[in-house]
Formats: sequence, structure tokens, C-alpha cells
Amino acid sequence: MKKLASTLIAASVAATSMMASAAVTAVKVEADLSHASYSSSVWDSAKFSDVVLYPQTTIKLNDKNANAANAANKGKKAQIAAVYNGKSIAFMLKWADSTMNIQTGYKTDVYADGFAVQFTQSKDADTLPYIGMGSVGRPVIIHLQKAVKKYYEPNGNGNVEYQVNRNQTDLFDEELKRFDKKVAGIGSNDYERTFVSEGFRSMTEIKDSSNSSYARLGYKEGGWMGTVSRSLSDANLQLTDGAIPVAFAVWDGEKLGRDGLKNLSQWVSVKLEGKSGGDELVAALGEQTKGDVAKGKEAVATNGCVGCHQVEATDPANLMAPGLSNIGGYSTAAYLRESLVKPSAVVVPGYNRNAHSNYMWYTEDNGKRVSTMTDYSWLDADSMDNIVAYLRSLKAEVE
Amino acid sequence: MSKRQLAMVMDLNKCIGCQTCTVACKTQWTNRNGREYMYWNNVETYPGTGYPKNWMELGGGFDAAGDLQPGVIPNLEADYGVPWDYNYDAIQNGASFEPNVEPTWGPNWDEDEGAGVFPQDNYFFYLPRICNHCTNPGCLSACPRDAIFKREQDGVVLVDLDRCQGYRYCIAGCPYKKIYFNPKISKSEKCILCFPRVEQGLPPACAQQCVGRIRFVGFLDDEEGQVHKLVNKYKVALGLRTDYGTQPNVYYVPPTESPAKFDADGKIIEGSTRLPIEELEKLFGPDVHAAIKTLKSEMKKRKETGESELMDLLIAYQHSDMFRLDNNYYQEVAKANGQKALAPVDERYVAGKHTKPAGMQFFQGGDLSAGGHH
Repeated sequence: MKKLASTLIAASVAATSMMASAAVTAVKVEADLSHASYSSSVWDSAKFSDVVLYPQTTIKLNDKNANAANAANKGKKAQIAAVYNGKSIAFMLKWADSTMNIQTGYKTDVYADGFAVQFTQSKDADTLPYIGMGSVGRPVIIHLQKAVKKYYEPNGNGNVEYQVNRNQTDLFDEELKRFDKKVAGIGSNDYERTFVSEGFRSMTEIKDSSNSSYARLGYKEGGWMGTVSRSLSDANLQLTDGAIPVAFAVWDGEKLGRDGLKNLSQWVSVKLEGKSGGDELVAALGEQTKGDVAKGKEAVATNGCVGCHQVEATDPANLMAPGLSNIGGYSTAAYLRESLVKPSAVVVPGYNRNAHSNYMWYTEDNGKRVSTMTDYSWLDADSMDNIVAYLRSLKAEVE
Repeated sequence: MSKRQLAMVMDLNKCIGCQTCTVACKTQWTNRNGREYMYWNNVETYPGTGYPKNWMELGGGFDAAGDLQPGVIPNLEADYGVPWDYNYDAIQNGASFEPNVEPTWGPNWDEDEGAGVFPQDNYFFYLPRICNHCTNPGCLSACPRDAIFKREQDGVVLVDLDRCQGYRYCIAGCPYKKIYFNPKISKSEKCILCFPRVEQGLPPACAQQCVGRIRFVGFLDDEEGQVHKLVNKYKVALGLRTDYGTQPNVYYVPPTESPAKFDADGKIIEGSTRLPIEELEKLFGPDVHAAIKTLKSEMKKRKETGESELMDLLIAYQHSDMFRLDNNYYQEVAKANGQKALAPVDERYVAGKHTKPAGMQFFQGGDLSAGGHH
């Protein structure tokens, strides 16, 4: 057995030396994954890899207390593994969180810990959807699981008779107790949702049962374990390649995290072990930028980028264009390159339609966002590489 | 901005703080399903902490440049107050009278306290508040999900509960703190201006039930309507804290008269007035001077000549004149759009680009898509 293991290690070392290795390797298993949970034995054979999740700093939200709580956020290291069989793929995220935050009870200002896994149909590493919930024409599918205890869909089942105040029913004693029990039974204990999104603001929950997934969340010894399993192929997504791009995010309820107040990874490659194809994607997402960081910094200064972008500073009051202080944490080299050459290919909407009305970072032309950024396609290849290398180096410190 | 704007005028000279509006709203909308603590309509004593506590200090709204300002989400226990009830059943069996929750704070904790020293110069007045259905709503701007929309046909601001994910940035963004988090469904909810009633030609419950007849409801562009006359013709009805930049559509006739102060011997100080004009200026802006002047001169005119259209309006003779809603306007809107009348919510997002409508049981009856923001 020991010998076999060392042979396997040798083989994988040999493979990595030949090409960029995938960030996560999905191990092929025989087990049924449709109800894979963090306690399933299927994870015993899985390979966990470190993936860093960086704080979202491109857009600023408007909750004063939350912004203060998240001002000094650092990158978080998550351990991520994947397994797949002929039908499904399952992911497990483990991340440290010293506080278990469950949204429960009659409270207005508590928030849940949680995680999300983002998929895309796109296979072209050069034009992947924007990391933050996709972009126009480049949809993503997002699976979300939050630690929300008991919640009720508003009128979701049309059972209006159970939505009246208990004092306004004509019930007493045992009947009223039965009523309370019935009302309690209507609640859902599992805040698991699947969304389709083509960019910030457009995220829409999939409720037509075209999606089947199963997510679980458990807290143990100072950290969360989250799992999600989904079909390799359904009406929304067909994951047929040997490697797929996947992104991850986690929320910290202790810091009032929700929505954009999160830590997220960049698009990472997940190699489905034993399945051919996808090598280009793995290579592109693992690309070591060849540019010179110092020269790139100089080029950013001399080419007018700082006229609109906050590059290294994080002063939201003067944020005109999206902040770049952490852009390397969750952007691929291809995305940065595309943004320089075709600024309107992906335009992140402002956090609200009225924000910074005097400093528009985009205009709208027939409903399509057009960036006010200059097209930098005239830059020579070296400068471009240098700038991309510099931007990739802009990352928050990792915890 | 919507095509038309439904607005409300409240005459503060006539509000007696009876809370009938509050109860009308509560029994209609907020006594159940996680909304128990919410007061879509509340009547607070001014000066006072208000509801939620110190709402004017909690941020939101826009600065002069038009940028949304960060805000704070109030705490239920400390700022709204946890609703409590008593053990009525148990006391029949000899138990002592106990609340089920130890009361620590509530929406009218400081009712009738006001400011000043009794009996020399104490004063207060009542300030009824609902959602302002703003022309530039802070809640709508703050929502990162496009879950809040302003209806085209009447400017009513609504939450699309299907899109809402309970992020609560809307609460931070609203300077009036008139949008609330429902912990039971984990979504935000707010005053809907009783749109299902309004669409049938009935005024919002708070206005209908008001015993002082202080509330007028109508479209701002309806020149025959009393709302238009009070707001635009006589300019005696003013928005609350318009400095927040949201362009509120609930207007107030400011308190015009207040008693004189007493001196140390309890004698009236001639020419004095208890209500400091600075307080009114803070609430209603500099236009409050002109509004009070108009009100006083019309009062005088009425006394001297027996004639004043403005005074007749404010006497509020007929509900039918105070509420100008019917005229089949909503039925015509629905017809023009090929829709059923009484359709509850905007359905743009329900089907969605990627979701099939079959899963949307709740929305099957409604198909109104005329509303929305642009």
C-alpha cells in the first residue's frame, strides 16, 4: 500500500512538472453523491488543496457598521476538495471561522455564515464570466448555503389560512396548539438556493426545479465544513470537460457579511481526474504572469490609470472607478488583459444607480453599459504583461 | 421617476395622536408573520426619540452631490422594541399579570413627553409617519439585487419579495428607516401605500380610519385634487427632511399655532410661542416660514370675509373630496397593458430569463408588468 502511494505521488509530481497543475483535483469515486455531506466517507479519498479567498473590495456597500467591521479584512485560506462520479460532482470547503454565526430568532441585525460555489458553462479561459456573479452574456450558476435557521417563504404555498395572527383565529386550547404546530411545520430549515446570474444585480433564484443540488453546512472545531453536490449535467449547466472553472466564496456573519461583503476566490481550475480534456483551461488559469511587477507599477502610474482608479489605497470616498487594491486576489490574468483592451467587455455596475452620479464609470447605451475607461489596446505587449503582472500582485494579506 | 405620483398630505394641526391610523395599519398588514414589531405607520411625539429610536441619526439618503450615504441597521431590542403580550389565559387561574417579554423599549416609549419645562414652556406635537414613497428612494438605490421598484403608474415603492435576499442595505439606505427586516422570512418589507385598496379606489387604511381627517390622498398631477392644491397651489404642505435628498411624497401641513409660554408666576408671556420655529425648519426646511404665513393669512381672511378655499380644504368636509383615487384610473392602466386589474406585483423577475414561470405558484394570478424602475 505504502509503495503504491509513493508511486502515485511520483506520478503526480511528474505530471505537474510537465504542465501547470489544476488548483483542485476532483477524484473519481463510485459512491452516490446525490446526498454527499461533510460527514460522508466519500471525502476520505478526496484531495484537499488550499485556495485563497480574498475580500471583495471592488464595490463598496452602504452599511456603515459592516464597512467598519470589514475594513481590515485579509485573505482567508480554504481547503477545498472535489469528488465526482458519472452523474454528479461534489465540493467540500473547509475554512476557519472562530465564531459560529447562525441567523436565527426575532432579530433584525444578525447575519449568517455561509458559502457559495460558482460554475459557468464557459470553457474559454480568456472570456470567463466576471468573477463577481458573472457578466452580461456570460451567465454563471451559483449554489448558496447559508446558516439560516428557520425561515418561511412569504405566502409561498398559498396557505393564507396559516399566515394570520394566532390571536385572530377562532381557535382555543388544543386547536390553537395544533395551529401553532402546523405554522411551525411550514417553515424551512434549509437555506439552500441556486441562482443564475449575468452580473451584479441580475442574480435570480432558480425555482423551476430545473436544478437539483444538495448542500450541507457544519461547524466543528473553529471552522465550517460546507458541501455541495450537483449534477454534472442539467438544463442549466453541462460539465463535460476534463477540467472546469469553479469559484468559491464565504461569508462571515460576525462581520455582518452578506452579499458583496464576502471573501472570494478567483476562477480556479478543477481537474476531473481520469477525464481527458481541459488542459488549456488548467494552463490558462494557472498562468504565471511573465511581466515585471515593478515596471508594471510604473506603467500604471504613467498611463493615467490612477486618474480614476484607487490602485493601492482603499479610500471609498474617492472611489470613482472600481477599486484595484485587491484585484489580483480574484482576477485572472486573462480578465485583466481583456479589461485593458476591451474596457466595455465587462462593466461592473456601481453599487447603486445613484452612487457617484458626478463621476460615472460607465454610461448606458440602449441598456448596455459602456465603460468610460480608455481603451488600452495600443499598449505594447511588454507593457501589457507588466501591468497585468503588477495588478495580479495587488492582493490583501492572507490570514 | 414614475409617470404619476400618488401622494399623501397630513395636516399636523389636527393630529391628536390617537394612533387609530397605527392600529388600522397594524391590523391590516403587520400583526403577523414576522412583522409584529414593524410599524409601517407610526405616530411619534416630536421632539422625541421617534421610531426606530433616533432614526434621524441613523444615516442613509443622499448628499448634495447625489451620492448614497452609508447608514445603520437598527437593533430590534434597543431601537424598535420587542412587542410583548400578557398572560391573559393564565390570570384566570390565579397567576399574576406578566408580560411574555420584559418590555425594554417600544415605539411610543416617550409619548407625550416632548421638550421644555412644565408648565412654563413645555411643548410637543405629533408626527405621523409612513413610507414616503420617495421619487428618489434611498432603499431602492441601496438594493444590490434590484429587488425594490417604483411603480410607473403611481410611484408606489414596493419590495419584490421574490428577488429580495434579506441583505438589508435598503434599511441602511432609507433615511426615514421606514423599511424593515422580517426575520421570519428573511426579507425586507415596508408600507405598500395599501396599493390593493388604492387600485380599487379606496384610500390607504391609515387615511380612511383617521378620526381627525388629517390625511389627504391623491395624485400630485391631479389639479382638481386637494393634494395638488395643498402641495402645489398653496404650498402649505411640505416634505419631511427633504435635505436627505430622496424627494419624499408624503407632505405635512406644519403646526401653525402653539400656546404662549408662562412666566415664573404662571402668567402668560404675551407674544411668545412654545414651538420653536427652528424645530419646524429642521423638519420641513426653510419653506416652512412661507407655509405658516400663508396658513395664517388665509385663517385671517376666512375670519374677516368668510371665504377661503384653503381653510375649506383643511376643514376636510368630505372623504370623497379628500381622496381622489377612483375615476377607473387603475382599471385603465391594466386594460392599456392587456392585464388583469388587481395584479399584486411586478412580474418581470418572476419568470426571469432563465427560469420558467411554472414554479411560481404565488404569482400565477398576477401579471402586471407596467410597474418598475428605469
